[in-house]
Amino acid sequence: MSTIALEIRPARSGTPLLSVEGLTCRFGEVTANDSVSFLVQHAEIHAVLGENGAGKSTLMKLVYGVYRPTEGEMHFEGRKVSIDSPAVARKLGIGMVFQDLRLIPAFTVAENIALGLPLRGPRLDRAAVCRQVTEAAERYGLVADPDALVRTLSIGERQRVEILKALMAGAKLLILDEPTSVLAPQEVDTLFAGLDKLRSQGLSVIIITHKLHEARAICDRVTVLRGGRVILSAVDPASLSDHELVDAMVGRSVPALPAERPPTPHDAPAALELTGVSVKGDRGQFALKDVTLSVHRGEILGIAGVSGNGQRELYEVALGLRASVSGSVKIGTTDVSGGSPAAAIDAGAVGVPEDPVADAVVPGLSVAEHMALGNLKSFRKGLGIDWKAVRASLGSLEGRAQLRMQGGDRTLAELSGGNIQRVMLTRALAVQAPFVAAAYPSRGLDVATTRRTQELLLEQRASGAGVLFISEDLDELMELSDRIAVLHGGSVAGIVRPKETDRYEIGRLMLGGGGGEQ
Amino acid sequence: MSAISSALRPPRLRSAGREAGRIALAFGGALVVFGAFVIAKGANPFTVYSDMVRSTFLNSNSIAGVLVKACPLILGALAVAVPARAGLVNVGGEGQIVIGAVAAGGVALALDSHLPGGMVILLMMLAGAAAGAIWAGIAGVLRLTLRVNEAISTLLLNYVAIDILLYLIYQPWKDMHGSGQPVTRQLAVAARLPLIGGTQVHAGIFIAIAATLVIWFLMERTSWGFRLRVVGGNSEAARRAGLPVGRLLLSAMLVGGALAGLGGMVHYAGAELQLRAGMTANLGYIAFLASWLARHKPIQVAIAALLLASIAVAGDSLQINSALPAATVNVLMGLVLVAVMGGWGLRKKAVTV
Repeated sequence: MSTIALEIRPARSGTPLLSVEGLTCRFGEVTANDSVSFLVQHAEIHAVLGENGAGKSTLMKLVYGVYRPTEGEMHFEGRKVSIDSPAVARKLGIGMVFQDLRLIPAFTVAENIALGLPLRGPRLDRAAVCRQVTEAAERYGLVADPDALVRTLSIGERQRVEILKALMAGAKLLILDEPTSVLAPQEVDTLFAGLDKLRSQGLSVIIITHKLHEARAICDRVTVLRGGRVILSAVDPASLSDHELVDAMVGRSVPALPAERPPTPHDAPAALELTGVSVKGDRGQFALKDVTLSVHRGEILGIAGVSGNGQRELYEVALGLRASVSGSVKIGTTDVSGGSPAAAIDAGAVGVPEDPVADAVVPGLSVAEHMALGNLKSFRKGLGIDWKAVRASLGSLEGRAQLRMQGGDRTLAELSGGNIQRVMLTRALAVQAPFVAAAYPSRGLDVATTRRTQELLLEQRASGAGVLFISEDLDELMELSDRIAVLHGGSVAGIVRPKETDRYEIGRLMLGGGGGEQ
Repeated sequence: MSAISSALRPPRLRSAGREAGRIALAFGGALVVFGAFVIAKGANPFTVYSDMVRSTFLNSNSIAGVLVKACPLILGALAVAVPARAGLVNVGGEGQIVIGAVAAGGVALALDSHLPGGMVILLMMLAGAAAGAIWAGIAGVLRLTLRVNEAISTLLLNYVAIDILLYLIYQPWKDMHGSGQPVTRQLAVAARLPLIGGTQVHAGIFIAIAATLVIWFLMERTSWGFRLRVVGGNSEAARRAGLPVGRLLLSAMLVGGALAGLGGMVHYAGAELQLRAGMTANLGYIAFLASWLARHKPIQVAIAALLLASIAVAGDSLQINSALPAATVNVLMGLVLVAVMGGWGLRKKAVTV
């Protein structure tokens, strides 16, 4: 049919697709994986469950050839293999989509995908690649515009392209690192439907995750890691209760959020007020259309929506990071419609960015220096910066946030995604602020840290902050928000109260109002 | 993962020692390659190296020569280092030095017989610095308004500056009472930078040292220096932190240009004493190397500039003693730069797991 038709072996053969035996990986004195064994069968979706730091990513990087094991061996399709590099892995038919996506922003979708395809001759037939992309996108249910520049895509959209790229490069075993952490429920459903289709075509998928219901929804088997060791190996998730799985993952129980919360005062002033705001996105299209919203002090306003429906632009316009084309944006009494980050900071606004590495992390600077950067003006002393005050404030913020942040001298850019996120959260959520904007604050965090982050958002609310809380996790939104505004196509499709609605109602709004496809 | 890197991280002192060792190794490598080059040219590398060392460091005239060359080099290298902190590539040191010398020359030709010497020197310094700042500022404004890459614009502005110098010394500023050469008249004695203790070394070296210390203070101890690093590291993060990114970029270019312009003034009023074609002898480009060698850290930049100044002076002995062309020494400088930068590449690779 097409040149990228996958080589498929439909029937299950007796040997597993991938077998990992006694894999150990040490970095210096730290053992990231300790004698790990598990099997992945043909035509199987396999979840690797575990908390942050359980060794899931390391294990998958061993399988994908990014790291080499200290001990142990692997068999792929019945043959003993030594996977020395990702190139070897790809040649074998193992594809991986990393959590931090690795596309080239200045290239189009088709060009990025072409990079993963075997080149025939020196000429790049763009039209053919575009056609292949469109075909494959349809086949897998992963919508992607081949001509769009990757730079202009949302993270969710980029991830779809990455999955497509690995599939089109001929992967028989697809490894997805926390694939749903950036997707909306509907997109998760689409993704899972696509994965199901792949499974029926005989392909196997490994999903790294810490979300139980996802493992249950789609996976045939789960392997649970804790502290680098296998706790459960390739078990059927249906045979275990949630409680047993959480116990295996965490080894302790997570406290519930307080159910009783002080009500938002009726006369609370607005922390953020958008009136008829329209904003252009990076592609020059209108990303927000005539949006009118307000976040009152002492209130959490949740923002739901399928990724790429204006969430990023809303976050940016609310913090004065993007100018509005029309309408007015006010933080308290400060007008930031024209786009003024400095004015927003002066007005006391703080933010947890969607993509910290691109938008907040400065290579070479330490954790403490990033803390100072959050509010540089308040640390000025004469010509210089009062580093003593920065350190003192760092200590007190850390004490309040309790997010187990790394030491102030560590270079932020060298830390893992989760640890960078802890710094971002500590910087924004442990200060007294009248307005907080948080974009996907619990992304990439383990169960306990996610819970602590949610507590911090509630603490901000209790101390009188207005919180704009953007998330793609509906459960989290319903649990924390006083009201939820649903974005669709850059407009507010509706504002609902979690107590008076359900997931399906919100899902309908996310898909464009009364359509009722859900 | 985090625990791993902290466990492997050497204490600061050891890491500084390693860095010095790496640079020494790179330097040694460059000397070996250059030795092969010398052999290919039919000379004995050991004699060449010992001649270079003897004639440069064991001879008071040469030591003075090194210091004289170091003055504009240090200032020119700082002119690269400051914008580099903000992520800007200033290749225009040469042009900024030239234009600084031209501006100082203009002041001197007009005023050195009318005002007291000290006053003229002060005005020349101001004029040189201002001209350099304007020259670099043009590139800065082009970058901010029309998104012209500053590496290209500063490089091209070098040629414009040199042509302005040539025009002035062939036409309006030509010394009418001289030998007919295209040069300006000699600077009045009172308006020259004073010499130190009967050597050719002039007070410019103090200006260069003072500038190094001031720039170190600005970069490492002030909020301005910190904000420049933020802009240089991630300009989007800087914008989101409410920093005036455009103004910071421009300020870095202006300060850089002023330093180079001051370097041109110092070279003119301390060593050359007249404007002539080729008076800057590629100092701006050597200064560029010095800054990159030292990774734009002010104190290290000054040391690197001093080192390159001695290699440049040693080049003269090559010509005299080994009959190699003086330009041969540029090969050595290029090798040193490539080797040292290659050494950093190795280090980076070693760190990434």
